[in-house]
Amino acid sequence: MRTTSSRTEVIGGRSRRGGAVLAAVLAVCVLLLSAQAPARNRASGTVLQSWILSAAAPLLSALSWISRGVTSAADSVSEVFSARKDNVALRTTLASREEELFRLRAELAQRQREETLAASAPSLPSVTVMAPVLLLERRSGFQSVLIGAGSTRGVVAGSPIAVPEGLVGRVVTVGRTVSRAQLLLDGLAAAGARIVRTGELGVVRGDGSGAMRLNNIPRTSTVKAGDAIESAGIDGIYPRGVPIGQVDAVSRGSSLFLEVRVKPSAPFSRLADVLVLAPSPAAIETPGGPRGERP
Amino acid sequence: MTVGRIALLLAAATALEFLVGSSRYRAALPVDWLLVATAVVARSGDFTRAVLAGAAAGFIEDALSQQMFGMNAFAKAAIGYGLAIISVRIVFGGALAVGAALAAASLANDLIVGVLGFLLLQAPIVVASPDALWRAGATGLTLALLYSAEKFPWREWWQKRRLRRLR
Repeated sequence: MRTTSSRTEVIGGRSRRGGAVLAAVLAVCVLLLSAQAPARNRASGTVLQSWILSAAAPLLSALSWISRGVTSAADSVSEVFSARKDNVALRTTLASREEELFRLRAELAQRQREETLAASAPSLPSVTVMAPVLLLERRSGFQSVLIGAGSTRGVVAGSPIAVPEGLVGRVVTVGRTVSRAQLLLDGLAAAGARIVRTGELGVVRGDGSGAMRLNNIPRTSTVKAGDAIESAGIDGIYPRGVPIGQVDAVSRGSSLFLEVRVKPSAPFSRLADVLVLAPSPAAIETPGGPRGERP
Repeated sequence: MTVGRIALLLAAATALEFLVGSSRYRAALPVDWLLVATAVVARSGDFTRAVLAGAAAGFIEDALSQQMFGMNAFAKAAIGYGLAIISVRIVFGGALAVGAALAAASLANDLIVGVLGFLLLQAPIVVASPDALWRAGATGLTLALLYSAEKFPWREWWQKRRLRRLR
């Protein structure tokens, strides 16, 4: 009985000391968060984060190299097993591609004329660098990605990032060789968007849970599921004409605008490498650099 | 648990976080390794170390992937304390209970970060998203497996196996 009570006292004492440590740690965290809160609209994250990213870069690159090595070894093994099946599938695909080639050649001349025109537009995306994805973090509405390129390779805060399938997000914190980018799926991310078929402009926002919404589309719009959405180039951050996604569902809410759900075109959960695009001139010219994490 | 061990545990958790995080198959195994490390420290029942280990794990996570420094540190320090209370005051055992506790802790981590994000950045609170549930399940399952592996009588199993072979 005495042993039990003395054990309870010991646990109680430890718990009280632990409680005091917890209170101190939480107070430090609150102070840290409060110190950062007013600076959240600053250009490129905190200086501390930038330093930490730079300091951790060699380790992150080494771990990424090991991880990619293991992944490609696993891929090689599985490819050996699926090679025969792939061969048959490729022959079928090749046959259909050859048919398609004739049709595409006919369209080529016209496309070339269109491209010449489009090349003169200042907002067309130009790729600065290709960077490997080191870490993808999805935590309670905040969705970010660490990429293996930084200021030494010309990455600046505000640079949009994309993959061939579509827009991914934009760089917010730049280290020397590692940068952190906010994904378009982040609960605080937004981009000016255009419905390709109707030409209507709206704002695409991440909902923080893996999908996006297209806001500010009037109820008179004829937007429907399957319509392609691309960046409009009106936000001063993202270039014009990069695919964002497809309309997944349209519903009429109680407000003045339609509720449009957008399915992203970029494969966010399978990102391996991303293209860092040149930042918009508007983003560079803004006093203090591009806007913070809230476009 | 010694400070050196805790440091080693956190380093291993960070390494695993990046080894899985930079792979294309990250979505298949979205384990919160830093929370697993916090839970392992908390299981020893030392409140102070659980809180400090949780805070350190959170700071690592914040430094590398969060837009505000301190949100995960806040959450993981509180969770470290909570898990230490559970391991000391509540008598329950078994891999399932340990896994369930950590899955709940993972969701609590999301909730705390979500509330802080809402208060400080006006970000929408997203808690029970499919991603969060999948990560909570994977994290709980990982600790349950580690717990089972730790409790499994490897020596007896090995001796029985040897005896069976000799017969």
